[in-house]
Amino acid sequence: MFNVITTRKFTKFYFTNPRWWVFSRVMAAIFAGYALATTSSLFLGQLLLQSMGEYQAFHIGLLLSFLIYSCGAMWVFSVSTAKKAWGGLISLNLIFMALTWLLMQVNS
Amino acid sequence: MKGSFRQSMKWLHTWVGLVVGWILVFMFITGTAGYFDDEITRWMEPERPLTATHIDKSKLLDISQHYLETHVKNAKEWRVILPNSRDANLKVMWQEQPEEGKRFGKFSTKVLDTDTGLAIDNLRETAGGRTLYRMHYRLHYMPSIVAYWIVGFCTMLMLIAVITGVIFHKKIFSDFFTFRAKKGLIGWLDIHNVLSVTAIPFHFMITYSGLIFFLTTYMILSVNIGITETQKDKYFNEVFPRTVEVEKSDDYQPLASLSDMYAKSHKYWQEDTLAYVKVEYPLDKNARVKFTRWNTDLTYNPDDELFFSGETGKLLDIAAKQVTMSGQIHRGFISLHEGLFASPMVRWLYLIIGLMGTGMIASGLILWTTKRKPKQMKNTNGPDFGYRLVEQLNIGTIVGFPIAVAMYFWANRLLPVEMENRAEWEIHCLFISWALLLIYPAFRSGLVAWFEQLKIAAFVFCFIPVLNFITTDKHLGISLPLRDWNYAGFDLVMLVIGVAFAFTAYKVKKHIPVAQKSHAKLTKNDIENKVTDETISTLAATKETS
Repeated sequence: MFNVITTRKFTKFYFTNPRWWVFSRVMAAIFAGYALATTSSLFLGQLLLQSMGEYQAFHIGLLLSFLIYSCGAMWVFSVSTAKKAWGGLISLNLIFMALTWLLMQVNS
Repeated sequence: MKGSFRQSMKWLHTWVGLVVGWILVFMFITGTAGYFDDEITRWMEPERPLTATHIDKSKLLDISQHYLETHVKNAKEWRVILPNSRDANLKVMWQEQPEEGKRFGKFSTKVLDTDTGLAIDNLRETAGGRTLYRMHYRLHYMPSIVAYWIVGFCTMLMLIAVITGVIFHKKIFSDFFTFRAKKGLIGWLDIHNVLSVTAIPFHFMITYSGLIFFLTTYMILSVNIGITETQKDKYFNEVFPRTVEVEKSDDYQPLASLSDMYAKSHKYWQEDTLAYVKVEYPLDKNARVKFTRWNTDLTYNPDDELFFSGETGKLLDIAAKQVTMSGQIHRGFISLHEGLFASPMVRWLYLIIGLMGTGMIASGLILWTTKRKPKQMKNTNGPDFGYRLVEQLNIGTIVGFPIAVAMYFWANRLLPVEMENRAEWEIHCLFISWALLLIYPAFRSGLVAWFEQLKIAAFVFCFIPVLNFITTDKHLGISLPLRDWNYAGFDLVMLVIGVAFAFTAYKVKKHIPVAQKSHAKLTKNDIENKVTDETISTLAATKETS
């Protein structure tokens, strides 16, 4: 099906086996994106804890998670390779986790 | 991934829209119908009397109280729903005492006859507008948790489609004013653009708020990591505060007169704004009565509620719920989605924008095939499997599902009234028809299948008022002079939908080549002739748009 949408203009951006790379990106968007939504919501919950109070901060984190999820998923399809997409999302996840842990130390 | 950022977003928009497009059409149609669920239920229960308004509310409260006191003695909660612009009948609801370990008991609803003060007991068993609306977020034939996740996945892709659509769209304002009513690719592209751009705030709101409904279900991982089990209750209390609950005393005490309380409420409210009455632990010493008026606020206005003591009928001073800022945002989105606050005018606007949303997705799906058609028609073996599948699903859903909904209404009038599991069979009728209409296009060529299904749609919708005339004594000739706009309105709307389908069928018919009309199946010669004509025009169109 994918050859249908490939126009000559973009062939050079495709890989030897484009379907697998697209599949890999889809997986990255769904799972690494969901992980990003989770870690970012936890991070926001800690970041806003002092100013908004425990539950409201957590709630705001949850409310924004869907927007972060969609931005993450869109980013996955905008970078040049699938490897970059995975690498980027995993490192972002790790950064959010580390920041959340740091903030937890500060907040407690 | 596809060169520039904008090109990648365009690719993403195409594919996220395509993979769940058909479920989204299903969700948009059932959801749009949901804005009129009460009105649909009323039509599906034709045994109810026509119009019961213009009776004083205090008399209606007396009738309801008398009925509940004599017929429903051991209940956890009573509710009286007064006639309103959406439902002209007086209804009482009650919740039985919950079983051990459960929070809610069984709910029952009765429509009262205001002349006799008794319940109308011969109502046919129907799934009603409520079930049609429930399919919007709960689908059918599967556990609710599975349905929520499927719906959530589709909604998430829709959110991405909305955002990417805005991003890759270069001339969002100029396109707003450009509508080229041409056939082929450009025409569909313009239809898709106009439907999307004009209602873009609604599309974003409806998608995002749809996800918020199941916030803690979808973000379950966050909830489990972020807060402990004991914190969860506190979290929910802060986000959705409840008024102090009533304790049951187990001492019998007749309920003070509801109409007296209604008289007292005039001191605080203007007359006739009371929407419904809730009695917690009726016939108990601690009974508490809550009067709720039509929402005057999108989120929560403490002035919309009045509390009375069930024992003395005196006004109680109950502290207003403390709603947090994030809770307000959450509630705001949810009430925008549900549109319960909407006045009749706004409700019609919801219907129109809901239909525009359906049209947006439908035109997007059609655009996908239109764009690929010239190339597919050149294939020596005919269009490939993917293309044919998309076209078949398009026909089977965009026209097929509305027909299935009409069959749901047909089933309501045609299934025997005393049939067992009648309500469930109405739903089976809907899904069986849809399944058949999804399969049918496989045996016809594209345009012919579109035309034939559009013809069926036009017939089944136009026939609904006739069916109502044949099977009930409340046809348009009776409901219109009585000005029961809810009941007559349903028939009229069905007629309008039917005419719209007939018009579309007429338009489609013009595009079917003569040879196809008689033979239905394309011969190889036809394909070649058609391709040369269409390729030239559509290729020119592709160049212009890209």
